[in-house]
Amino acid sequence: MTTTITGFFTDTSVCIGCKACEVACKQWNQLPADGDFFSGRSYDNTIHLEATTWRHVAFVERGVSLSGQSTARPFSWLLMSDVCKHCERAGCLEACPTGAIVRTEFGSVYVQPDVCNGCGYCVVCCPFVVINRREDDGRAWKCTLCYDRQKEGMEPACAKTCPTDSITFGPLEELKEKAKKRLEELHRRGVTEAYLYGMNDEDQPGTEGLHAFFLLLDRPEAYNLPPAPSVPTRGVGGSWGAMALGLAGMVAVAVAASRAGGEKR
Amino acid sequence: MIHARKETTGREMGEEYAVLTGEAAGQRLKQAEPDAGGVVPLWHEVPSLPAQAGDYYGLALLKEPVWIWSVPAYFYVGGVAGGGAVLAAALHGKRPLRRLAAWCRVLAFLGTTVGPALLTYDLGRMSRFLNMLRVFRPSSPMSVGSWSLAGTGMVATLALLQGDRASAKPAHLATALGGLMVAGYTGVLLGNSANPLWQDRRRLLPLLFISSAVASTAGVLEMMPLDRKEEGVVQRFGVAGKAGEAACMLAMEHVHQSTPEAAVAMKKGKGGVLWQAAKVALVAGILVELVPGRSPTKRKISGALTTLGAVCLRFALLETGRTAAREPLAATRPQRRKMGW
Repeated sequence: MTTTITGFFTDTSVCIGCKACEVACKQWNQLPADGDFFSGRSYDNTIHLEATTWRHVAFVERGVSLSGQSTARPFSWLLMSDVCKHCERAGCLEACPTGAIVRTEFGSVYVQPDVCNGCGYCVVCCPFVVINRREDDGRAWKCTLCYDRQKEGMEPACAKTCPTDSITFGPLEELKEKAKKRLEELHRRGVTEAYLYGMNDEDQPGTEGLHAFFLLLDRPEAYNLPPAPSVPTRGVGGSWGAMALGLAGMVAVAVAASRAGGEKR
Repeated sequence: MIHARKETTGREMGEEYAVLTGEAAGQRLKQAEPDAGGVVPLWHEVPSLPAQAGDYYGLALLKEPVWIWSVPAYFYVGGVAGGGAVLAAALHGKRPLRRLAAWCRVLAFLGTTVGPALLTYDLGRMSRFLNMLRVFRPSSPMSVGSWSLAGTGMVATLALLQGDRASAKPAHLATALGGLMVAGYTGVLLGNSANPLWQDRRRLLPLLFISSAVASTAGVLEMMPLDRKEEGVVQRFGVAGKAGEAACMLAMEHVHQSTPEAAVAMKKGKGGVLWQAAKVALVAGILVELVPGRSPTKRKISGALTTLGAVCLRFALLETGRTAAREPLAATRPQRRKMGW
């Protein structure tokens, strides 16, 4: 049986910042609470994706208006529901020494909780701020792209609940077509700053494209996204090469030092 | 009926209302409502922060390494084991240096035995330490390292048991081969990460770890009673290691100029202090050794200083990595520069 590769397309131009995706995710996945606090950063009291937060809505109040939009004074919102990107080449997956992190039949990146031993290497290998090890649980956690729901033929909880269809779920190829059409539409309407983030290999060679990609209205940094993320294993050959060189030196030093005292018996 | 307020589960969902079968239902909780982990201050009066152009409220763009003290401790122990294993093999069959070779074998054995214990202590689920050998993933330096460490532990035990008899040569060579991997892979492991500080220095880190492994092994051996011949061997081994370590540390600082945002982390906070301490101890160790005259006390002081420096260096690398991960510009600016912005 073949399954189609699925993903998320998050169109931030229609996000209203209701955080229903955050709630739906917490509820479906029965994620624990993160504690009550005010961050002082607009309406964003979630702050970041975490082991217990698999959707995070970013809020930016800008003193500039969006092109193609008329407001009494220069102002616009940037709202974006962030999620694990399920990279085509995933840093966490390539780093996982236990094989706990796998690529599912839907093309998503999934951490098997019954295998993960909490070594913490995926945490430093994620080029985004996604996967983390929760101290009291000990294992690494992140968005599963609702693997359990998908297996039952249901769409992920966040996409299901999104009232404006800012989060859309579907076969990745269809989503790409949809995203391109939406981008054209926005450009036609004068929102010229709109662009697609990480849709294809060409857009983001470092990850070879994301299975959860975005339509953004400002530079990636404004949403706490890296402009050119790269999976750590790209170009790590030089590191192994340097190691080989160093080790050759180590052998030479040991042999030379051993000559300093005593002849062979 | 009024229920007494029970301790919160963090999910506020009794089993009578819902069956906990969700993906994360198995997450174990000690602290149901944690604070934000120090990521943001918990304010009672909330000053509103305007968003800055260029980042997202100055919040981290990468996760900090979650490793505890036992990981840098392992980096040191593994280095000593690797150096010991290589030197033991080089000394094999040299009769006047039998005692030194035996010590090296013990170092290789102890390092590869204590090392896995230290690594296991860091695991979130210690009971699953054997999962490290569940698969072999060449793309993961940690997987390569786990297999190397496990293999070296076995052959180092064999080499220790076989001692210096001639038939032990294969075991010694195997231990040396494994020891080389153990001494070197940790540098690749840090370099193969998204952390800007480590990633920018990915070609240097293996060299730093290897040279420091040589220096660390010599440092430990210098603290032991040695005769004149043994001292000659240890000092030659040590001089090369210490010189290499000093050169690599200088080079690590030199990379500062190309990535100033990440490099700030090497001067800030706990990591900065540790880095400076590592430098001072290493240089002091070299200077003590340069004092003319041969005396065991001098040698032991030099060995102790080298050891101190090597330990500080490992902790400094982790702590500076933590600091660098907190700085969003350290991640974004180098990427922008590569994009030609």
